[in-house]
Amino acid sequence: MENNTTSNEYVRGTLKTIVLNLLAEHDRMYGYEITQEVKDRTGGAIALTFGALYPVLHKLEQEGLLLTESVEVDGRLRKYYSLTHRGNETARAKTNDLERFLDAVRLLLAPRNLATE
Amino acid sequence: MKRLQENRIDQISKYLQANKLDPELLPEILDHLACEAEENLWDGKPFEQIYQDMVKAADAQTLLNLSVDHQNLLAMEKSLNDIVFENRNKSYGAYDLRKGYGQTIQRSVVMGVAFFLLLVMFPKLYAKLIPDPKPDDIAWSVEAKPVDIRVEELPKPPPVDEEIAPTPKTVKSLTPEVLPDNQVEIENLPPAIDELDHAQPSTETADGIENLDVIVPPVENAPTAKSEATGAEPKKEETFIVVEQSPQYAGGNEAMASFLRKNLKYPRPASQAGIQGKVYVQFTVGSDGKIENASAIKGIGFGCDEEAVRVVSMMKDWMPGKQAGVPVRVRFTLPIAFQLD
Repeated sequence: MENNTTSNEYVRGTLKTIVLNLLAEHDRMYGYEITQEVKDRTGGAIALTFGALYPVLHKLEQEGLLLTESVEVDGRLRKYYSLTHRGNETARAKTNDLERFLDAVRLLLAPRNLATE
Repeated sequence: MKRLQENRIDQISKYLQANKLDPELLPEILDHLACEAEENLWDGKPFEQIYQDMVKAADAQTLLNLSVDHQNLLAMEKSLNDIVFENRNKSYGAYDLRKGYGQTIQRSVVMGVAFFLLLVMFPKLYAKLIPDPKPDDIAWSVEAKPVDIRVEELPKPPPVDEEIAPTPKTVKSLTPEVLPDNQVEIENLPPAIDELDHAQPSTETADGIENLDVIVPPVENAPTAKSEATGAEPKKEETFIVVEQSPQYAGGNEAMASFLRKNLKYPRPASQAGIQGKVYVQFTVGSDGKIENASAIKGIGFGCDEEAVRVVSMMKDWMPGKQAGVPVRVRFTLPIAFQLD
């Protein structure tokens, strides 16, 4: 649990990029699918809560980066999200930005890691 | 994959509603939780435990945060009107008026400006649509047909080879004018008698043929003996009715009366019918004294009128009437009385 909260703190800033990146890899996804994908690929290291995910999705939708379509599945309405053209561009840009940031962070963390080792 | 039973889904839905989740978010969250629950069911967990875990994860605070986030997101799109009219009667009308206010103002401004421009531009537009007639514009055309006017050429009188009339030798001899003493010119002295022996008096002194007695002036212009005597030429012939000196029968009224008695014959029809009376004969006495155009203007008939005209026409030349000393044509009316003895 301790570990999870820490990861959530970092996830908050990168959630937008993660969601966009995932949607860029898939045609369309629904909320639960996204959380499962994240959970599977990180081996449970990052767990998205629906309380954090949906506001981000709605915000991206409002910004015009996402399109939604509601499909009835098993008697329930399922809302699928897909990237718009602009959303695709934004996803690419944000992913690059995050990678550069991660590289920079890695550089910052490296000496201390070396020192401790 | 195990399906969640309907009543279980309803249970979750009621839970979410009880925690006042935004209705717009409800289906999505419900689907999410249902999927999670199905996953856990697949793992073999009993529903009761799954539900307990779910309630723990989706506690009231989390759901409230979701709703608030959603409201905040929508609020960015909401206008002031939506906020003002939140929880108020929007169907009353004021909301619609306020909502359409911007559009109404925009439309009215455009219309007003267009109307004003049209009003201002109207004279120019009118002038463009109905241009003033140019001075070289043709209003209407009139076809002119040539009119053939032929001048009938009168045959010219054959040129008369007039022999230049021989001019008599003349000596300037003007009628003496009475002038005040200081204006008398002594150059124009009357010619001497011996000068006039071989010349005729004229207005100019000219060398000509001496002793040329016969001069034939045009008849119209020929001065009569009378006019020569008075020294003035007759003016253009004009018929007078009243003149200063009436024409007179040569010899006087008594001579005329005897002439009439002698020549007048009482017409037989008149004498048989016992007609008496006066016949008024009108005639013109020419400036040369000749009787012309005699006619009875008022008669008694029975041949008397014709008889009177005949006798009057027979009369010898009269002394012409004179106006300002010039003999003139005078119309004269003579009453002739027919009387049975």
